[in-house]
Amino acid sequence: MRNSKRSFSFVLATLMALVLVLSACGGKNNNAAEGNTGTSTGGGSEKTVNLIWYTIGTPQKDVDRVMEEVSKYTKEKINATITMKMVDWGDYQQKMQVNVASGEPMDIIFTSAGGFDYVQNARKGAFMVLDDLLEQYGQDLKNTIDPAFLEGSKVDGHNYGIPANKELPQQEVWRFNKQFLDKYNLDISNVRSLESIEPLLKTIKENEPTITAFAMDKNYVPYVPYDYVVQNLPMAVKLDTTDYKIVNILETQEMKDALNLMRKYYKAGYIAPEAATTGSTSDLMTSSMWFMDRAQTQPSADNLWSQSYGYPVVSTPASDAIITNTSVQGSIMAISANSEYPEKAMEFLNLLNTDPVLRNMVDSGIEGVHYNKTDETHYENLPESKNYDMPSYSLGNNMLLYLNANDPDDKWEQFKTFNAAGVDSPILSFNFDSTKVASEMAAVQNVKEQYWSSLMTGTVEPDEFLPKAIEKFKEAGLDKVIAEAQTQLDAWRAANNK
Amino acid sequence: MATFFRNLLKNKVMLFMVLPGALWFFFFSYMPLVGTIAAFKQYRFSREGFWASLVKSEWVGWDNFKFLFSTNDALLITRNTLLYNIAFIFIGLVLSVAMAVLLSELVNKRLAKVYQTGMFLPYFLSWVIVGYFAFSFLSMDRGMFNQIISWFGGDPIQWYSEAKYWPYILVFVSLWKSIGYNSVVYLASIMGIDKSLYEAAMIDGANKWQQVKNITIPMLSPIIIIMTLLAVGKIFYADFGLFYQVPRDSGPLYAVTNVIDTYVYRGLKTSGEIGMSTAAGLYQSVVGFALVMVSNYVVRKIDKDSALF
Amino acid sequence: MAGVIRRNKDFHQVGTGWNVVLNLIAGIFAFLCVFPFLFVVIISLTDEKTLATDGYRILPAQWSLEAYRYVFQSGDMLLRSYGVTIFVTLVGTVISLIMISLYAYAISRNSFRYRRFFSVFAIVTMLFNGGMIPTYMVVSQLMGLKNTVWALILPLAMNAFYIMILRTFYSTSVPEAVIESARIDGAGDFYIFLRIVLPLSLPGLATIGLFSTLGYWNDWFNALLYIDVPNLVPLQSMLMRIESSIAFIQQNSQNSSLSLTALQSIPQDTSRMAMVVLATLPIIFAYPFFQRYFVQGLTVGAVKE
Repeated sequence: MRNSKRSFSFVLATLMALVLVLSACGGKNNNAAEGNTGTSTGGGSEKTVNLIWYTIGTPQKDVDRVMEEVSKYTKEKINATITMKMVDWGDYQQKMQVNVASGEPMDIIFTSAGGFDYVQNARKGAFMVLDDLLEQYGQDLKNTIDPAFLEGSKVDGHNYGIPANKELPQQEVWRFNKQFLDKYNLDISNVRSLESIEPLLKTIKENEPTITAFAMDKNYVPYVPYDYVVQNLPMAVKLDTTDYKIVNILETQEMKDALNLMRKYYKAGYIAPEAATTGSTSDLMTSSMWFMDRAQTQPSADNLWSQSYGYPVVSTPASDAIITNTSVQGSIMAISANSEYPEKAMEFLNLLNTDPVLRNMVDSGIEGVHYNKTDETHYENLPESKNYDMPSYSLGNNMLLYLNANDPDDKWEQFKTFNAAGVDSPILSFNFDSTKVASEMAAVQNVKEQYWSSLMTGTVEPDEFLPKAIEKFKEAGLDKVIAEAQTQLDAWRAANNK
Repeated sequence: MATFFRNLLKNKVMLFMVLPGALWFFFFSYMPLVGTIAAFKQYRFSREGFWASLVKSEWVGWDNFKFLFSTNDALLITRNTLLYNIAFIFIGLVLSVAMAVLLSELVNKRLAKVYQTGMFLPYFLSWVIVGYFAFSFLSMDRGMFNQIISWFGGDPIQWYSEAKYWPYILVFVSLWKSIGYNSVVYLASIMGIDKSLYEAAMIDGANKWQQVKNITIPMLSPIIIIMTLLAVGKIFYADFGLFYQVPRDSGPLYAVTNVIDTYVYRGLKTSGEIGMSTAAGLYQSVVGFALVMVSNYVVRKIDKDSALF
Repeated sequence: MAGVIRRNKDFHQVGTGWNVVLNLIAGIFAFLCVFPFLFVVIISLTDEKTLATDGYRILPAQWSLEAYRYVFQSGDMLLRSYGVTIFVTLVGTVISLIMISLYAYAISRNSFRYRRFFSVFAIVTMLFNGGMIPTYMVVSQLMGLKNTVWALILPLAMNAFYIMILRTFYSTSVPEAVIESARIDGAGDFYIFLRIVLPLSLPGLATIGLFSTLGYWNDWFNALLYIDVPNLVPLQSMLMRIESSIAFIQQNSQNSSLSLTALQSIPQDTSRMAMVVLATLPIIFAYPFFQRYFVQGLTVGAVKE
């Protein structure tokens, strides 16, 4: 017995030694990035490099084919070829985390608040600091896209990515299913606040009992004039603040009033009973069984909505247009920290955001195969475009895109006006670093998930549940998180002369 | 040393048999275990890849474990995870064995096959889809249950905000999904029992129930013990889909639906701290390991041959 | 075969009354299990608009084949995925059956000096895992399996859970005396394993074979990690991608530019249900192949006699 025990430990020790040796080999293995082998061109002295670009969206059949064309163009312009790797929507977060953590070769990475979070991963070292590169290779880009984007997407004072030039502020609107407005002759010109929608809801509820009067899903939060320090956590700063004090949004009068109203609407049956657990209202949209809801707008959004639903939708503002971190960080392209050719990657990003030919090729595919140009600024899709159907918002400067037949001719002008009208949030480009309070954050997140949706949709009685939620947040350590955030915000304010 | 090699030589055929599997375990299971170090680090990316990141990241001691214990929820999620798993293990065991015995006793073997195939179908539906079905029964205004209730003149129930029903719903759904699958093991074991035992019992005049009690169940006990021991090792892991998709992540139900896995998911989904998720996994593993060691020790005391090791 | 069943009837049967009761219990439970799946089939055949208006109905107002038309649109992609899944399932099941049955046999023998070590060696892997990223490092970078079909096969080839089950089957269904007498006759370990132990443990092997077939058929996670090329994507992985993408877009519905572009490219409910049907039907037909070993455990008796 004793003998066999000794041989156990011998075998075990040998195995452990093997593990260490082998894992050391593994470590060495990924130092040499395999994918980035450049092919030297015959003519030029500089060798052509291949850039690997990870982006979000359902993988399209013709990606490689289009990238071949793109590469011909970029090789001529900046002596680089492009390989695009698309990762499906739902897989992006997880897959990119694995890819980045394991040091997969990559040069350009799509990042946003929702998919592979920009700020978090910038802080964890996933992206390269672009300050100098931008200065050196990105001058055209800096002149083209709205400077507010580059300014607003700074993390701790540095640029880690190039935001897509598109709608800059976020503005909430009330959307209405126009057929009901017409049928009951309802006027929306005076609608703006949460109170102001009540008479309309009432009319619809009385006359159309089968229609969901106020459509919403579990992500709905009543609008209050605050900007959240962390999206959907109850820490916020008032938009017209002067003292930059972070408050618990649940303790503000505005939120209390809004929640009471929501409760009233819920009890009146304006809101679907299952709103707090509903993931999406797309069923209602398809079937046109809704009267109104709230959404974020962009120029000519009414048009887009009406087109995609197949019936007229109109909207009216529910808030001002505010430029926040979330709106600025909606779509960003970053350069991977392990990129072998950061300069080339920056040159490419510069070109992509300034060159209409390249940008449209990436967006719509090969001219004559996937689309046809009808005139200088317009295009139409060909049947083949189903093999190359890309999400425009994630691929760089939107304002270079050709228009389709349904777009107004001044679409991008409208965007510029819309962007110019946006007002900066007081905490724009302040990004909270939660590292020091990581375990409190995990607990706070759980409390949020527990109470948020049912409070916000009016499913539960605020008189009872609001104090309960506030109490639970306190227990989870929200005060400590707020205190930490306040310290950081004060330091940020001092550094930025706000 | 010499005896060691002599022993190796004596066991060479057997060693040869375990070799492919042992190599597999070594590469696919043991080598990745090095990554567990991340539980004690604040993981930061390094451009040289994962191992370099792991080495360069800062040591933080037990900090990554704190979020599992620091809150009032810690007790709740531990309790929920444990109690549900205990319920699943025992009720599941009794029902799976009962179903296996029942199927083996059916006269019409063709019908038995049909039933059995049917019972397997839930296994193929993902939790997302099971969640849809639960919703089509439990939905407030359109759900089948509420329609039946109002047909009898009762008040509709807000299923997704009434926590008191959910322990039963969850246990039912879990059993519904797993019994077909789990009973296969027992059914196969029953088929492996020597038929002459039953023949002898019949001759001695034993009735059906006595046969089941005195032959089938005792003959099944080794596999029952093994299955239970293996399940005990997983007692700190909860089936994420069951507790997240089926209750539609409904806040008012958290008191009875929040388990370790959902807590970790909700707490880390925005920050994605690798260190903290590794820590949670390690915690679940260590507790499972300890419990397996203890229960295996107990089983060994009682019946050496039934133990896992 | 018929003769054996008849003999079975004589010795091993419940009374008619009980038989009816047992049939009822099994039948009702089986129905509860089949019903949701039938529902899936019905939804996949429902008209999309009707579904949005009426919700799930057992008898929809409007039937439609549109969902299947949509799924088959991708044509060769779907066929390829079937091919990948079937190949991976067949090859994977054979490989894992070989490895598992050998390993389990060795640790079931008392004469094997290191049986406890290798038992523990296996069980530990069930309890501890290194996590997603380290595993990814080993499989993709050390072994270089990324974007090969082996990345779908090897990571699932062994499983300590199956090993322990099979070990128990060996020790309960193969009497020690049979092995001893074979040994006295001069049979070697391999001979005993192949000619005596395996035939006697057919129900156990069938169980493990079934489990690992299902495991391979239902696996999507390995494809998520290791497969980037479209022609190696298995069926379940296609399905899961759709499901997780829908979840993602719902979670980010506030991001207006995302939801405006992305929502259109996402398949509707009916198409997802059609995918579920297409991904499940073939494997249901494979099931009876294994089933005969645990509904009629006659082989065992036959071999022993």
